[in-house]
Amino acid sequence: MVRVRLDHVTKRFGEVLAADDVSLTIEDGEFFTFLGPSGCGKTTTMRMVAGLEFPNEGKVYYDDVDVTQLPSFERNTGMVFQNYALWPHMTVRENVAYGLNVRKVPKKNINSKVEDILELVHLGGMGERFPNQLSGGQQQRVALARVLVINPDILLLDEPLSNLDAKLRVEMREEIKEIQRELGITTIYVTHDQEEAMAVSDRIAIQNHGRIMQVGTPREVYDSPQNLFIATFIGKGVLLEGVLEARGDLMDCRVGDLNLKGVTTSDEALADGEKVACVLRPESFNVMEPDEPSNVLEGAVEWSAFVGPITEVKVRIGDTSLLINAPSDREYPPGSTLRVYIPRDKTLVLPWMQLV
Amino acid sequence: MTLKGPRLWFDPERLRREFDAMTIVQTLVGYSTLILFLVLPLFTMMVEAFVYQGRASLHWFWSIATSPEYWSLAPLGGRMFEVRNNIMILWGIDHGILLNSLMVAFNVAVYCSFIGVFLAFIMGRYNFPGKRVFQVLLLVPLLATPFVNAYVIGKLFNPRNGLINFILVDVLHLLPWKLDIDGLFGITLAQTLAYYPIVYMNVVASLNSIDPSLEEMAENLGARGFRLFRTVTFPLILPGLAAGAIMTFIFSLEDLGAPIGFVGARANPLARKVVSYQIYSSFAEALTGGISPRTAALAVIILFITAASYITVRWYVNRRSYAMLSKGGRWSPRVRTPSPQVRGLVVIFLVLLVVLASMPQIGTVILATTDWATSGALPTKFTWTYMSTLYTNTLVYHAVLNSLIYSVAAVAVMILVGSSIAYLVGKRNIPGRGVLDTLATIPVAIPGISLAIGFFLFFSANFRGTLLDPLADPALLLICAYVVRRLPFTTRSVSAGLQQVDKSLEESSMNLGANRPTTFFRIVLPLIVGHIVSGAILSFVYSMSEVSASVTLGALREDRVPITFFISQIVYGAAATGSISIGAALCVLLMAVQITAMAVSNLILKQRTSFLGV
Repeated sequence: MVRVRLDHVTKRFGEVLAADDVSLTIEDGEFFTFLGPSGCGKTTTMRMVAGLEFPNEGKVYYDDVDVTQLPSFERNTGMVFQNYALWPHMTVRENVAYGLNVRKVPKKNINSKVEDILELVHLGGMGERFPNQLSGGQQQRVALARVLVINPDILLLDEPLSNLDAKLRVEMREEIKEIQRELGITTIYVTHDQEEAMAVSDRIAIQNHGRIMQVGTPREVYDSPQNLFIATFIGKGVLLEGVLEARGDLMDCRVGDLNLKGVTTSDEALADGEKVACVLRPESFNVMEPDEPSNVLEGAVEWSAFVGPITEVKVRIGDTSLLINAPSDREYPPGSTLRVYIPRDKTLVLPWMQLV
Repeated sequence: MTLKGPRLWFDPERLRREFDAMTIVQTLVGYSTLILFLVLPLFTMMVEAFVYQGRASLHWFWSIATSPEYWSLAPLGGRMFEVRNNIMILWGIDHGILLNSLMVAFNVAVYCSFIGVFLAFIMGRYNFPGKRVFQVLLLVPLLATPFVNAYVIGKLFNPRNGLINFILVDVLHLLPWKLDIDGLFGITLAQTLAYYPIVYMNVVASLNSIDPSLEEMAENLGARGFRLFRTVTFPLILPGLAAGAIMTFIFSLEDLGAPIGFVGARANPLARKVVSYQIYSSFAEALTGGISPRTAALAVIILFITAASYITVRWYVNRRSYAMLSKGGRWSPRVRTPSPQVRGLVVIFLVLLVVLASMPQIGTVILATTDWATSGALPTKFTWTYMSTLYTNTLVYHAVLNSLIYSVAAVAVMILVGSSIAYLVGKRNIPGRGVLDTLATIPVAIPGISLAIGFFLFFSANFRGTLLDPLADPALLLICAYVVRRLPFTTRSVSAGLQQVDKSLEESSMNLGANRPTTFFRIVLPLIVGHIVSGAILSFVYSMSEVSASVTLGALREDRVPITFFISQIVYGAAATGSISIGAALCVLLMAVQITAMAVSNLILKQRTSFLGV
């Protein structure tokens, strides 16, 4: 098991920056996720850890060993590809045994190891099948078994669940998390699905246009987004464009003819009169006045949708509409006036940023 | 986005990473083969052509351009649409050697395009009885019957005893005069019949790759009939048509089979007045005095014409290749079943075309198995005499054996070189792979006769007394010529296979600890072995029937002659070994080899036989 360190890693494809000055450390045994929209460079960053891509600048360290130029086959990592990359001309057993064969492990050890690992991923007895005779979920397990059997120092998972249907996806991610916990293996996970990332990760790195925007635990990136991109990418917040009027422990913002008081989670210094964004999450709203000091908003209900535990209500306030998660114990007839409260410490004030 | 730091073209770390031992070997194998057997011979030929009295000069080109023998707008001779003694003479008009060749090639490309597009539409868009049979029969003209095909056409359209004249005039009284097809027009006819399947197959492939919804959309917007064809369908098949047409143009320019065949059939001097024949005949001087710079200049001229037109069309086709099959949705091909009358017409038309286009092949079989060569319009009796010469006549037997040995050896080299190049070009990101790709593809566009001149000049000058000296022993050089000329078939087939091997299949192997050679031999090779074999089979077939190098370099030593040289000598009438029927018997053998190979490739390996295109 190793600690992985990226030190000012930059990778260009022509004019496109796939990784822009990435520096971060992935701890031994950690479940670490690269999260970002497609094309943000997260897969490229992972492939540089795997030795399938090589940085233009910067270094990659395993513990304290510089592996920047080491080819993939000398790194002892195990990567599960998005399309699984199972070799169609080999049986499940041959696929799984491949890594052991090229390592010249004695034949009888190979057989028992392959059996054990197939048991672990619930594929006992499937060894003689060919990949095209397996379901998507089973192929996924073979791909996992194939890399786990070599005892890799790092497990790399490149959007491993994106080809599975919704139900299987939840099952598999729990299973992957289970196995990772059991083996205590340093794991790097790449996904564009923020819920998936939050569910499995110890820490998440959010990447956009090659740059790492923030690294933190799921709670940190959710509660304390460093910038507007993260605040809108994680969770479904509504953003209101405003101007900062006064600073202090609380930030005073003017949004249209409203005045909102909120907190900032960004490290960037804000100046009076600066253009800012107030990010309001649906689940932060109350329809009853809470104990903590709150901003009060009032508007007409546009529509409401009962979705089980909560009712989603769209409220027109000034020239914007807010989505609010309201309790399901009452009705919200369209056209009726609704007064909602959002605690000031959940009103996020962040420097304005152009979102592409 | 900002760019930081220096951008190195040759990042030393990258080069060290990419060039492992296997890559170095593959690169060396690819480049050395192509440089030694393609670049240097052609370069030597150009030096020869561009030097006059020790200085760089356009003298030889100027002398060709200004000599009416090569280039004359005023007719030098020939006859076209002249009726004499109840015979309609169709020989073509002589405008000088170079202009004749260009006009023949242009006409062949145009005729092939019309036939090819028309057939492609009938086959691609209509249902009629026997469609699957016609799909096979339309490809019969691709069976190689070098020299004999033209001989047969010359014989069929001979005003005396020609079978077609006999049927059309004497039996059916359909024409008021007999036809006399020979010379340049005969060459055009023979080449059109032999090459139209190339256009047909390219257009059919284009047509099948058009998403039906594109045409349905146009119909939905109100375009119908010819307007639909003109505005949507035709522009979409144009790349395929251009690719096919340019191949027929190139093949016509470099073809030796038809001119020699017609010279053999009728001895009409007009059939000699094309570039390929002129270069071929000057090879006879090679034995004694070497090849004249004027011949080299002529070979350079047709090389420039073919290579330039090929590169232009390739550029155009690559720019105009649309990925047209949309995902999902209904995918019902636009095939219609026309009315019974139309179906009947279609079948009658196809039968006539298939019979006409397959005349050379049918005629060859008849020549080989009957007394038709000497009997007049119709054969009178069946005989096994000529076919049996394949194993009784030692000269024939040796020619067959030679061709087999050359082709097998050439294919072995092609597998090694072709899969190395295909892998480097398709899967590796090494400097210079674009050059390698071009070098490996361009032989398709290089006239074999030009390459043969280059081989002779380069190797006789620099390798005197070695195994590569054409005057001492042409065997090895013939093998190398086959390798270079037929390499694109192997490379293309392997490339097609490699395209189906996703990058991640190799990456996962390397990720699991396998180095590049292990990955290549255990993952890549097993996945593309079918494509390698089918590419090799195709290369073998086309090596067996190779003409240009075989009839020139192959002529340099009697005990080294390959099949096609032997056939050319028989057809030319210079061999004492036997009548035209023995040549036909050899062609039957070639056809049998080709049919067997295609069957193996299609049925056992399940590979669609790759076709000739850009």
